[in-house]
Amino acid sequence: MESLLNFINQNAEQIIQYTIEHIELVSIAIIISILIGVPLGVYLTTNQALAETILHLASIIMTIPSIALFGIMIPLLSIIDQGIGFLPALIALILYSQLPIIRNTYTAINNVDPKIRDAAKGIGMTTFQRLIRVEIPNGMPLIMAGIRTATVLNIGIATIAAFIGSGGIGVLINQGISRSNHTMVLAGAIVVSILAIVADLILKFVQVKFTPKGINN
Amino acid sequence: MIQFKQVSKVYNDEVQALRGINLHVKEGEMAILIGPSGCGKTTLLRLVNQLETMTSGEIILHKENIKQIDKIKVRRQIGYVIQSNGLFPNMTIEKNVMIVPDLLGWDREKQKKRFHYLMELIGMNPDEYRRRYPHELSGGQQQRIGVARALAADPPIMLMDEPFGALDPIIRLRLQEEFLQIQREVRKTVLFVSHDMDEAVKMGDKIVLMRNGEMMQADTPAKILLHPKNHFVEEFVGEDRILKSLKLYTLRDLVKEVNLCSITDINDKPSINLDASLHHVFSMLLHQGYQQLAVVEQDKLLGMVDISVIEQFIRLEQQKLL
Repeated sequence: MESLLNFINQNAEQIIQYTIEHIELVSIAIIISILIGVPLGVYLTTNQALAETILHLASIIMTIPSIALFGIMIPLLSIIDQGIGFLPALIALILYSQLPIIRNTYTAINNVDPKIRDAAKGIGMTTFQRLIRVEIPNGMPLIMAGIRTATVLNIGIATIAAFIGSGGIGVLINQGISRSNHTMVLAGAIVVSILAIVADLILKFVQVKFTPKGINN
Repeated sequence: MIQFKQVSKVYNDEVQALRGINLHVKEGEMAILIGPSGCGKTTLLRLVNQLETMTSGEIILHKENIKQIDKIKVRRQIGYVIQSNGLFPNMTIEKNVMIVPDLLGWDREKQKKRFHYLMELIGMNPDEYRRRYPHELSGGQQQRIGVARALAADPPIMLMDEPFGALDPIIRLRLQEEFLQIQREVRKTVLFVSHDMDEAVKMGDKIVLMRNGEMMQADTPAKILLHPKNHFVEEFVGEDRILKSLKLYTLRDLVKEVNLCSITDINDKPSINLDASLHHVFSMLLHQGYQQLAVVEQDKLLGMVDISVIEQFIRLEQQKLL
């Protein structure tokens, strides 16, 4: 315990540096994932056949071990000279985020009470107005839950991306393993866990902020 | 005005939901669509705001064929009330009520005024409820808000799909009364789906009885009750149809047609006002075991009423409607 605190103390600057890298990677990945996943999830509610295919595909991606996915991407991205580093890590994280975000968005929109949708149609809202004024606000808790899941998941997976040189807290754990330095591994693991918990709490706050008051129960 | 001309609807090329419906609902008239479930009454209603499409025929709203008007535009000119109120849970009461004016781009000031007017109309305090959310309201209040929302942009036409069907009987009666009151003030052309004959008799200027997608009879409540066109109508309105028809008349209607009994010793007989419904009079006669009741208007005794007088009156009405 004492050696752990000592280690953190002595390497504080480095650890903060890794943490910032980690946050950077995950934030960019999540923002891009939301930009892809939410509109896609919304669109899929209008296309049942495509919805099943896409959701299947997303589930399959989920089952690929991250280390294998990085392995596959090295030769592929080497073509554009990006085999290792930030880009393959980013792509992997975006791919892993899709299932929770798309599925939750899709379910959220589909689960809006048909009677409410009927009323929205019947009083003369266009499809877009219905989406913006009724369906998305009422689906907000579920959509946000998907984003939270994806974020926590990404914070974990980003650790492994350190193997392909993306930086982040994974570097600490990596080095710890190769040097048999348990303190170092432990320090990395603790920082990642704290990061995940804090991120989830922040997003929970955002969720409450963005959820209309009328549907909190 | 709503006019249906030879309207038919077929689902999946086989199920005939509506056949050759011809119906004319006049300006300011409330027509009740009624019939057993699956008779097509809701489908007929939803054809008007194009939530369903018809297979053949025409629907005319104020001289315009609905096929020639933009769907979205038509819907914004039609008030729509559904059974489960369909309020948007994410919006405050004010936002809910003002949704159509908002879509139409009314300015804030005009919306505010209208909200005030509507809330007064439905008997709810505008300032108390403005910022509340639908889930904080009781079922009856939610349904009132549903009615206010439908009236918000002052549409000439209202479509009401079993608006009071999900409420408990006491609240339902009260909301029916309130809506009749509102209707007297706003005079909309209303299509109203119901499955409750008492409601139809009470609310309708016209009752449209349907079965299996066909119109069985479309007439005034009195005509439906006193002269059912066929066996189905007779059965649907119930064996107590004559009794139900008593709700349509008051003593005031009665004294115009028939003579009351002469005034006898009234000391032990209760009196009844000229505006009481015949149904009420009849129940009093049965219930309290009196042979006669004294009919009064502003403390003036007009005569006595008994069961035979009512019988005579109904027979007369029945003949008149032939």
